[in-house]
Amino acid sequence: MKLYLPHEICIEQGEENAPVVQRALARLPHVPVRIVEKGWEHEDRSLLSADAFATGKRRLFFTRQRSTFLEHCPAGTSGLVCCNYLVVSLISNCPMDCSYCFLQEYLINNPTLKVYTNVGDLLQEVGKALDRQPTRHFRIGTGELSDSLALDPLLGFSADLVPFFASRSNALLELKTKSHCVDELLKLDPKERVVVSWSMTPSAIIDTEEHGTATFAERLSAAQRVQAAGYKLGFHFDPLIEYPDWEYGYRETIAQIFSALDPTRVAWVSLGSLRMTPALRTTVRRRFPRTRILAGEQVACADGKWRTFQALRVKMYRSILGWLREAAPQVPHYMCMETAAVWDKVFGYTPRADKDVAQMLTGGKG
Amino acid sequence: MSLLADQLQAYAQEKRLSEQTLRRWQSWSAEDQAALLTMVQELQLGENHLRDFCDWLDDIIARDGGTVSALLLRSELQHPLGLKLSRNDKVKAVKAALRKLRYPRLSQLEEDLRAAIKALDLGERVRVSFPPALEGDEMTVEIKARNVRELERSLLQMQRKLRDGSMQHVFALLDEV
Repeated sequence: MKLYLPHEICIEQGEENAPVVQRALARLPHVPVRIVEKGWEHEDRSLLSADAFATGKRRLFFTRQRSTFLEHCPAGTSGLVCCNYLVVSLISNCPMDCSYCFLQEYLINNPTLKVYTNVGDLLQEVGKALDRQPTRHFRIGTGELSDSLALDPLLGFSADLVPFFASRSNALLELKTKSHCVDELLKLDPKERVVVSWSMTPSAIIDTEEHGTATFAERLSAAQRVQAAGYKLGFHFDPLIEYPDWEYGYRETIAQIFSALDPTRVAWVSLGSLRMTPALRTTVRRRFPRTRILAGEQVACADGKWRTFQALRVKMYRSILGWLREAAPQVPHYMCMETAAVWDKVFGYTPRADKDVAQMLTGGKG
Repeated sequence: MSLLADQLQAYAQEKRLSEQTLRRWQSWSAEDQAALLTMVQELQLGENHLRDFCDWLDDIIARDGGTVSALLLRSELQHPLGLKLSRNDKVKAVKAALRKLRYPRLSQLEEDLRAAIKALDLGERVRVSFPPALEGDEMTVEIKARNVRELERSLLQMQRKLRDGSMQHVFALLDEV
């Protein structure tokens, strides 16, 4: 994986001295820098280009988050089983460019790769939320609007986040990535409060659909390094992509992961079918005309998203769950954005409430 | 501009196709453009049907390889064109055939279910249906009756089919691919 190198750094006036800006400038000494006014990105004419989403990724824009950081994971859509996950976003948009990425649609009007400078505000906000409910066990992730670690060599956010969560007893931080950027993490002590998780797909999919991400071997090697450094691991087989050799591909991938790592130090594994809104499918067709991910037997579901049709989807879940249980029987598994009916078919039970899934993943304290 | 390009433009104007759909069509090889033009002229497809055709053709090619022109010559798609049907029925028939190629396993499952329901022989007053694209696991059974005797007859037949396992077979099929 090539490390991200922006064409330009833009800094909102007044944010020049923020620690994250100073770190990035020190690590990117040759990249042109421009000081811009607040709200500049909304008038950026370069984003009128045919592929504004890609253009937006090439510029690194430092600004303040003026809204709240902590949000409920948007996967908690009505009618689907939810796992009570919370997200915080220090970055909006991602240096990688997976063909199926929902950000292509979600950030269509706001694609500039933004980095929020006020990490102190985030920590304060999260701290207050954790203090308000001391008996609740929180799972909080940073990988919703960007990759959690791909920019860490430039931004070093892990040095702010890991010590904070290491000092809190009622929360787990999840850093979700498709990168191999773990060097900063190795310098820190997570004290069992940080899960570093990788999104995993067979190499055939990584190589053709997950542009700019680490290879499978790089991800696995990074996972070995962070596990050795005391971090818990997570894996997300999400999106599960149906392609002609999917059975071989996923089986091999699972076998390789669990033969290289200690399964007793894996906090969770999730499964989630490829899902796309009709608008996202249109965008994907335009941006990636050679992609094969749309060629699976996907149909419109009740929530308006397209997924592999249910019988085939359930077959995929059951097969993959079987291989996971064979390789790592003690690891908790769950599904993302699925109906109670599909849970029942795959796991043989339907969680009574969202809390059930959260409790399973946090050892009964969700 | 070439003759083919003119023909595409003329068709797009006549059917008020969107720029996006026309551009997509024009991005194909000349042979593929021409093959689709022949078919859409025959079927007089408008924007929505044409977009479905383009999506499905692109998806099949992405999955199986080959070319649009070769695909459109397949007997499954050519056969309905030769039938004495109204234009609407021809569109339906060609689209159904194309959907079968686009969704082979889903179509097979739908066919198996239709066959299993037919084999239940529940009579004309009982209608069994499934959610669109089998997305969901509920079967809907609708019974029409003009009097108690008709209702009883339908329910007894259903009960027999429950006892002999044929109903169970239908539910099991919903899970099979």
